[in-house]
Amino acid sequence: MMRKKWKKTIAVISTVSMAAMLFAGCGSSGNKDMGSGDQTGADLTSTSMTNEEIIKKAASEGKIGNWGLGNEYEVEALLEKYGLPTDYLSQSYDMDSFDNDSITLASAMTFNELGLVKNDYEGAYGYGDTVGTIDMNEEGVAMLEDNLFCTREFAEQNPNTVKNFVYASIKGWEYACEHPDEAAEIVYKYGSSVSSEHQAYMAEEVAKLVTTDMDGNPVTDIGKMDDDAMEQTLDLAKQYVTLDDAAAAKKLKDTTLDSFRDTSYYDAAVASTDGKDLGTPEKTDVSIQLKWLPQAQFMGYYVALDKGYYKDAGLNVEIVPGGGDISETTAVNNGTVDFGVTWVTNLVSANAGGMDLLEVAQIYQRSGLDLVYKYSNFLE
Amino acid sequence: MYTRKKNIFVRMSENVNVQKALGVILPVLLGIVIFVLWQTQVIHKIFHVDVFTLPLPTRIVSIMIDNISDILINTKATVFAAAIGLLIGSVIGYVIAWVADRWKGFGSGGLIIVTAFNAIPIVALAPVMTNWTRDVSPDASVRSMVSKILVVMIVSIASMSINAYRGLTELKPYAMDMMTSYAAKRREVFWKLQFPNSVPYIFTALRVSAPNSVISAIVAEYFAEYIIGVGRQIRENIVLAQYSTAWAYILTACIIGIVFYVVLMIVEAIILKHRK
Repeated sequence: MMRKKWKKTIAVISTVSMAAMLFAGCGSSGNKDMGSGDQTGADLTSTSMTNEEIIKKAASEGKIGNWGLGNEYEVEALLEKYGLPTDYLSQSYDMDSFDNDSITLASAMTFNELGLVKNDYEGAYGYGDTVGTIDMNEEGVAMLEDNLFCTREFAEQNPNTVKNFVYASIKGWEYACEHPDEAAEIVYKYGSSVSSEHQAYMAEEVAKLVTTDMDGNPVTDIGKMDDDAMEQTLDLAKQYVTLDDAAAAKKLKDTTLDSFRDTSYYDAAVASTDGKDLGTPEKTDVSIQLKWLPQAQFMGYYVALDKGYYKDAGLNVEIVPGGGDISETTAVNNGTVDFGVTWVTNLVSANAGGMDLLEVAQIYQRSGLDLVYKYSNFLE
Repeated sequence: MYTRKKNIFVRMSENVNVQKALGVILPVLLGIVIFVLWQTQVIHKIFHVDVFTLPLPTRIVSIMIDNISDILINTKATVFAAAIGLLIGSVIGYVIAWVADRWKGFGSGGLIIVTAFNAIPIVALAPVMTNWTRDVSPDASVRSMVSKILVVMIVSIASMSINAYRGLTELKPYAMDMMTSYAAKRREVFWKLQFPNSVPYIFTALRVSAPNSVISAIVAEYFAEYIIGVGRQIRENIVLAQYSTAWAYILTACIIGIVFYVVLMIVEAIILKHRK
């Protein structure tokens, strides 16, 4: 009898420890290593290495990270600029791999991941100024990100709807960029995926991307489609987007600016003084698909909704959050939603694959992508 | 006495050779019908999908032919992860079954735990394994492969251990008593009675876990650090709205699954040939 009891005890202990081991694996994806910035060399706030040396060192160690899935082209262009192979590691959406040094030169959006790395609020890593960044705009490999688009068919059938939507959205973006704190609160109210502190940080940073161009000059016409910036984006896309489908690859090579954007709706919206002369919307109930979860990245649309700008324009707007692998181009193309927010590259690739999407405004005027590194990892 | 001649259809349906042939012809016919409906876009009309999200088979195949070298590289990575994971997982599963039979009090509880592990979704398991294996090797391609193999392994363990346990314990009546009366050693009982008895159960387990291993490897590729594999390509292409190319890889995944199954059937037929 005693032996049986012993066996049972051993069985229970071993199974429990097995389960515990597995959960230990889960745990390290949390904030276990928070504040590991206190380790050796954490007080470093600069390095004597140049960007080129940093990139080459990280590349030689195979520790450059990016999320892939259409976000990787700027990093590939940067690597090629310095004559390096364009390999990178697949980075997950948290920054744990950066924290634990399995990636030493990690991709980070200025308004999101970079804040998580630097700041010290809940869920962030608190590296402060012990990390440095490499800016895609300064490196000359910037590509345009968040835009506003619909299908060509929708725009042709509902020109007034598009004009009014662009008008009200830009009004929302203007207000949001002037009052980022209030915009952050509005977004938070509409169901935020992140903390209110992070939302406030994000709003500040997004405002910079909307009101500054790739050369660092201020932008007064929010939403304008700047030819030079779009050409640079398209050229890089043609160079680095590899499509296995021969027909799509050819179509991509033949893409011109005018084949995927139409400035007329934007021009009309900007020319209007009070938005009353843009005509009655043909379709009044419209929806917009975001590229990601509700966050200040899309604050202009939330502000336009909250402040009633859409309502004033005669539109009843529903904002549809994205997240994960949601394909905003597909959602707009098959008519699930009317408008969408995507990156220029995604739109161009989707058109090459057979869609007929049309950009009607370019909200972000410069790239928000940085490569972030710890100074302590790049000492000479 | 006059017996009415059976009509031709009844006679045909009773003929063994005809039955065998039908077993091949009917599925092939169904395949051809689906192909024709797909190619002529009847399927698109029935399900209200466009040629964009469900490209025509000819287009998918032409992309496969154009990119055969890329597809082979990705296929190799996926097959390697699936096959090695399946092999290791099955061996471990069998050992667990053997342990469960050898030390009965210890074992039945252990089997329940193994089944519980099997219930963890692959999407939850894969990121954990990626995290776990980050110190395995400085080479990302190696540690990603290890993490994928681990995922496949865990999925394969459960079906093998449960089936093998049945194979080891559900013996012919009195077989064990006879072995005892021969004063057979434990090792002899295993090799002469239990192991042969468990072989068909091993194949039952593999029939489930072979296709599963391919699926697990594909999902694990979604979360791996090193970018390679059929699963990763499906994801990349769908995100970039390249549905034709994504379908080329989906078809590749189907072929891998079918090949795994067919190889298993052939091996089973050879090994179990002299049975019954």
